[in-house]
Amino acid sequence: MANYTSEQKINMLYDMMLIRGFEETVEKLFQDGKIHGTMHLCIGQEATAVGACAALTREDKITSNHRGHGHSIAKGTEVKGMMAELLGKETGYCKGKGGSMHIADLNVGNLGANGIVAAGLPLGTGAALASKMKNEGYVVLCFFGDGSTNEGAFHEALNLASVWDLPMVFFCENNLYGMSGSIKEMVNVEHISERAKAYGIPGVTINGNDVLEVAKTTEEAVARARKGEGPTLIEAETYRWRGHSRSDARKYRSRDEEKDWRKNRDPIARFKLQLIEENVLTEEKFAELEERMEKDLAEAVQFAEESPEPSLDTLTADIYA
Amino acid sequence: MMVREITYADAIREAMSQRMRADDDVFILGEDIGIYGGAFGVTNGMIEEFGPERVRITPISEAAISGCAVGAAMMGMRPILEIQFSDFVMIAMDNIVNQAAKMRYMFGGKAQVPTVIRLPGGSGAGFAAQHSQSLEAWMAHVPGLIVVQPSNAYDAKGLMKTAINNNNPVLFYEHKLLYNSKGDVPEEEYEIPLGVAEVKREGTDLTVVATGVMVHRTLEAAKELEKEGISIEVIDPRTLVPLDTETIIESIKKTNRALVVYEAVERGGYGAEIASMIGESDAFDFLDAPVSRLGGVATPIPYNPKLEKAAVPQVENIIAKVKSVMNK
Amino acid sequence: MAEKVVMPKLGATMEEGTIDSWLVDVGEEIEEGDPIVEIQTDKITMEVEAEADGVLLKKLYEAGDTIPVQQVIAYIGEAGENVDDLVDDASSVDKTEAVTPDAKVDTPAEVTATGAGDSDTTEIRRTPIARRLAAENNIDLREITGSGPLGRIQKVDVENAIAQNKQKITPLAKKMAVDQQVDTTSITGSGAYGKIVKDDIIAANRPKEVAAADERVAFKGIRKVIADRISDSYYSAPHVTLHSEIDMTECVKLRKQLLPIIEEAEGVRVSYNEIIVKATAFSLRQNPNINISLENEKEIVYHSDIHIGFAVAVPDGLVVPVLRNVDQKGLGILTKEAKTIAKKARDGMLTPDEMQGSTFTISNLGMFAVDGFTPIINQPNAAILGVGRIQEKPVIINGQVEARSMMTLSLSFDHRIIDGAPAAQFLTDLKNVLEQPYKLMV
Repeated sequence: MANYTSEQKINMLYDMMLIRGFEETVEKLFQDGKIHGTMHLCIGQEATAVGACAALTREDKITSNHRGHGHSIAKGTEVKGMMAELLGKETGYCKGKGGSMHIADLNVGNLGANGIVAAGLPLGTGAALASKMKNEGYVVLCFFGDGSTNEGAFHEALNLASVWDLPMVFFCENNLYGMSGSIKEMVNVEHISERAKAYGIPGVTINGNDVLEVAKTTEEAVARARKGEGPTLIEAETYRWRGHSRSDARKYRSRDEEKDWRKNRDPIARFKLQLIEENVLTEEKFAELEERMEKDLAEAVQFAEESPEPSLDTLTADIYA
Repeated sequence: MMVREITYADAIREAMSQRMRADDDVFILGEDIGIYGGAFGVTNGMIEEFGPERVRITPISEAAISGCAVGAAMMGMRPILEIQFSDFVMIAMDNIVNQAAKMRYMFGGKAQVPTVIRLPGGSGAGFAAQHSQSLEAWMAHVPGLIVVQPSNAYDAKGLMKTAINNNNPVLFYEHKLLYNSKGDVPEEEYEIPLGVAEVKREGTDLTVVATGVMVHRTLEAAKELEKEGISIEVIDPRTLVPLDTETIIESIKKTNRALVVYEAVERGGYGAEIASMIGESDAFDFLDAPVSRLGGVATPIPYNPKLEKAAVPQVENIIAKVKSVMNK
Repeated sequence: MAEKVVMPKLGATMEEGTIDSWLVDVGEEIEEGDPIVEIQTDKITMEVEAEADGVLLKKLYEAGDTIPVQQVIAYIGEAGENVDDLVDDASSVDKTEAVTPDAKVDTPAEVTATGAGDSDTTEIRRTPIARRLAAENNIDLREITGSGPLGRIQKVDVENAIAQNKQKITPLAKKMAVDQQVDTTSITGSGAYGKIVKDDIIAANRPKEVAAADERVAFKGIRKVIADRISDSYYSAPHVTLHSEIDMTECVKLRKQLLPIIEEAEGVRVSYNEIIVKATAFSLRQNPNINISLENEKEIVYHSDIHIGFAVAVPDGLVVPVLRNVDQKGLGILTKEAKTIAKKARDGMLTPDEMQGSTFTISNLGMFAVDGFTPIINQPNAAILGVGRIQEKPVIINGQVEARSMMTLSLSFDHRIIDGAPAAQFLTDLKNVLEQPYKLMV
């Protein structure tokens, strides 16, 4: 297992900061009426996205879900193109036709966010099968939430990946709620990772707010996959600070619970403290990172705002190849 | 070209095999397609030639294997997915409708999904309600999907090559009753372009646009009608999306009458789309009778053979309908 | 409130009418149904009747004025009622409508280009191709009867109309026709394939008296009715005609003896016709399977009564008055009835009742030099008897040549419902009774 260099650790921290900054920025833009539709923010879950992607190469692939901004940024997708996409601009990753739930960047192995719960898993099996058949060596990591694990597609995909020994990692971000449904009320196993047993693959539950633990666990799973030993199910426990989407009053959970996760289990604060303790980071360096992040995001917003709208004649473009 | 008489099933198998020999990215996956040869024997012998890597027997998991086909296509493979009965595609609908059909568009043109989904459809074999449907209209409704429906061995082979080489998801509707029907098919590979209908029979009094097995029933009806002095032209669109509207319109301009015959439930079937296309087209000014449809009865397909026959158009129904449009 | 009197639309193609003369003056009292004004169209002259009681308040046009149909031409109301406001409305309508008839006088090319020829035919049920063909060929759909479902005009109907209307004309002839205001629709072309050429226009434009014109009479009225009935019968009932030569010598004797008796009793002279009618009724009673009719091609009706129609020639055709219950009447009464009804027929005074209800018909051409013929059944009868002249002929009786009064009867019957043998039996029975007429006494 690799020990991460200081630089790698700082980069991981920066990515986590950028994800949160991105989410806070788009939240504000939404409130200002500059972004329409809806969005699903991953504030509080930065460590799962960054930790998991830290274990992947650029050639490895991810599939994502509706709460996908963090996964995209962690996989290397640029915030400029993402911001432009959220503003529906022609320069967006999807030329303004996908929006928040469909950001994809095949160049960095980001096979796309997905508006259908658990849909990324069967798609991931196909990508993994292609890797195997074409002998390309890449691994496919599927991000999904706790709620997805009650979809048939989850079970079918795990089984298929298992019987075919596909190079995959099934990465479940268990943030305790599928929209409003508490996972405790929706499944009768203590840990989602136990479900792996049914498909004859390893399953492990980890602290999803500890980015290094996430990275290390994922690395082991990726190594196994690359060796042709098949998929692993990782359950990373985390918490989304915001509601499910923009229209969620969060009546299904207590403010005390939210406060506990925010105050005591903030993945960024935790990692920052850890790096300061390790003497990898200083407050000055952190302030520099914040400044850089703000600049990056300001540039992204400016780029997005100044970009043109897609023309009407693109309405029916790209339906068929 | 070396032409032999082979079955519709043989033609499909031959097209797939020839493509697989020529292109390593092409493979087939599906349930029981190995030593069993698939539910209708279409993949007989393929696993022996290509091995289990490229003739992939899957678990009974339509949701997974359809997504798998789409994901693999997205990553550069050209998978052919055999859905055992077209009815089972319901379980794979998300991957076809929400994923495959939309991926390219919603990713801003950055992905493509070259996959063929083979769907044995239609009634007449006694399989009852859950194994006999003709739901091609559902697929034709979805932008991003290509829908083909070959009616004979020659078309099946040519369209299969076209489908495999196409960079979009192609729903390939096969008909159970046609698998054993024989036709002259060249040994060599050839393509039939999408969106090119074929006039299967020329006539002067009425144009029948028929799909799938209805092409054969209509041709039979045409022989009977000819004895009574009614000459019908029979057009098989062969591909529903894209649809060759021009051939249909030009024919109707000549005959002045149009009837669309399809096996699917008449209400909301793809024939209704063809009929309304005709009504809105240049052919309107040439119509001498209302554009009519003859489709299946709005009922689940029953098991009893007599009832099953009554549920979808038969030769005598086509004859009667033609006469009624002809006001005879 | 004043009632309008409008120029009535008297036919599908009528667009305007001319006031011939006013029959009522302003201020004059009118009752509903009174004729107010006489108008003239290109086809007829007719009176417009009042649709309300009242006083003629105002005339909007004078005799000689031509007015579009549906246009108000007068008002009827209560004496003293003011209609000036209404008149303004009517004349403002006049302005807009007055344009319409002129605009209709299009050349065919303009009609095609604008589709104006179709503007008034939107309520006519027709297929798109029929509409298109009609517009292209300047055919008025209102003139066509549709053969399709619900009377829909179809392509074939328009094609037939085109075939009838199609006139080929050379450009020169066309120009001449326009210049000289010659209506080409009534001209039959003398060029190749009936093309109208210069000479046809010249011929058509010659003063009428110079041309040796055939008389042309509209095929309508009683002639049309007869024609329809005759052809209906001829084409629906398979006719078979049997002939039989009758020795009328005994009948001739009988008539001679009865003549003065009947003349004295009834004041009419009995003719062979009545004797044959009576004998026929007698034979029909013996052969009820001839006294039948086919109703609506559904039921065969065996009539209990014997009513015999007999054809009477009238100036413009043929009528068939009916003698009722012939079998129950004596020859005297029968003769009187026959003479009376025949006269009414010739005078055109027959009521419809007197021409209905026959169960069998006789057509007698004995007054002409006709021996036998094949009469057409007078449906719904199943049979008709044709009667030829009576002529003395040499006949061999017991090896001796004798002069006998001979006559040929021809029985046409509807072979759908009468077989050959019963028909032959009937004719044989009739022959027997005519040759031994005293049988009528039995």
